[in-house]
Amino acid sequence: MQRPINKSLQEYARGIAGGLLFSLPLLYTMEVWWAGFTSHPWRLLLYVVATYILLIGYNYFGGLRHDTGWADVLIDSVEELGLGMLLSSAMLLVLGRVTFDMPASEFIGKIIIEAMTVAIGVSVGTAQLGGGDGDTGTGGAASASGKTRAGEASKNRIHFMGQVVIALCGAVLFAANVAPTEEVVLIASEISSWNLLGLALISIALGALILFYSDFTGARRFAQTGGVSAVVIGTVITYSIALASSAIILWFFGRFEGMSLIVCLAETVVLGLAATLGASAGRLLLQTE
Amino acid sequence: MKKKKLEKNWLEWAVFVIGLVLVIGALGYLAYDGATLGDAPPRLEVRTGTPEQHPHNYLVPVTVINHGDQTAEGVQIEVILEQGGEEKERSEFSIAFVPRGSTREGWVAFQTDPRAADQVKARVLGYEKP
Repeated sequence: MQRPINKSLQEYARGIAGGLLFSLPLLYTMEVWWAGFTSHPWRLLLYVVATYILLIGYNYFGGLRHDTGWADVLIDSVEELGLGMLLSSAMLLVLGRVTFDMPASEFIGKIIIEAMTVAIGVSVGTAQLGGGDGDTGTGGAASASGKTRAGEASKNRIHFMGQVVIALCGAVLFAANVAPTEEVVLIASEISSWNLLGLALISIALGALILFYSDFTGARRFAQTGGVSAVVIGTVITYSIALASSAIILWFFGRFEGMSLIVCLAETVVLGLAATLGASAGRLLLQTE
Repeated sequence: MKKKKLEKNWLEWAVFVIGLVLVIGALGYLAYDGATLGDAPPRLEVRTGTPEQHPHNYLVPVTVINHGDQTAEGVQIEVILEQGGEEKERSEFSIAFVPRGSTREGWVAFQTDPRAADQVKARVLGYEKP
């Protein structure tokens, strides 16, 4: 059954709101605009492909419509990328960051680099904002899909890959807002080893805290298996995901170029705090229900 | 996940088609651009325009064009007024970024009238890799 137009409009509105909400800091960050024209086209291409894969993962495991098939997931992800590009073009034009007398490489580079975070925001916004009543409360078909969703969600509970993908999305969404700034490099090059160790320990502790001991929505879902080993494993996985996504994002924004290994590591740990927050909170907050 | 028929209304199809065009267009452009792009360092051309007289100084418009394959960051530009083979006044300014293929514009200010000078010499002093 097709959904009525106003229902789709509502969903797109949610997506647009979410896209702008999550990516506004990046749209207003000059280092991101610069990365748009200093990055090599291959790197931007890789960024688009990686974002698309991430969107597919998120839409499959964490998205709104669990009763949909693979084709829907692929199509939705393309829609989100497209909306991301439209939104970022509109914003950058209004902000005067792109103009029509620019060479195509600068124009397109800036739009693409901003559009990717907007697209993840659109995806998260579509699934998370508004939500509940409007979706499941209207008619038989919708509530039936609601049931399917609940069924899928209980399947997801034990789905390890799903948790990893959603944690990755959360980490990227949070870390991408901090990674392009000069501040990460500045902190990393001035920080002492002890402070760095402290930062790593704080990140790990925060990850554990958010995942297992706080009263965040759905926290019990992860704690229910219980035991010290579950806590340790969950925290290690969260922090690994956080560090890996930090390193990838930093590499993407060219933050590793010409840096010594120890500074690269320091940058990763510094950004790791933001990524851990995203990964652990993301796992709880970015999920439906 | 079970196999289901796609149920989309015209609006959703329209958004999908626009999205698909944008994504394929972007990927195609990036692939083309990446394949045709060399790795020549930034090559900057500096042009000076017609001097303008203002109440407190004289302004000379300067245009900088990057013909290279890479972005130049922190570009330092020097403009010298020469008369009778010697330097009368020099002025300089810097531009944060000149991306490849881009044009950036600015002005340098002088106390002496550039129109009276024999020659207005402009050159790039240097720039860094971003």
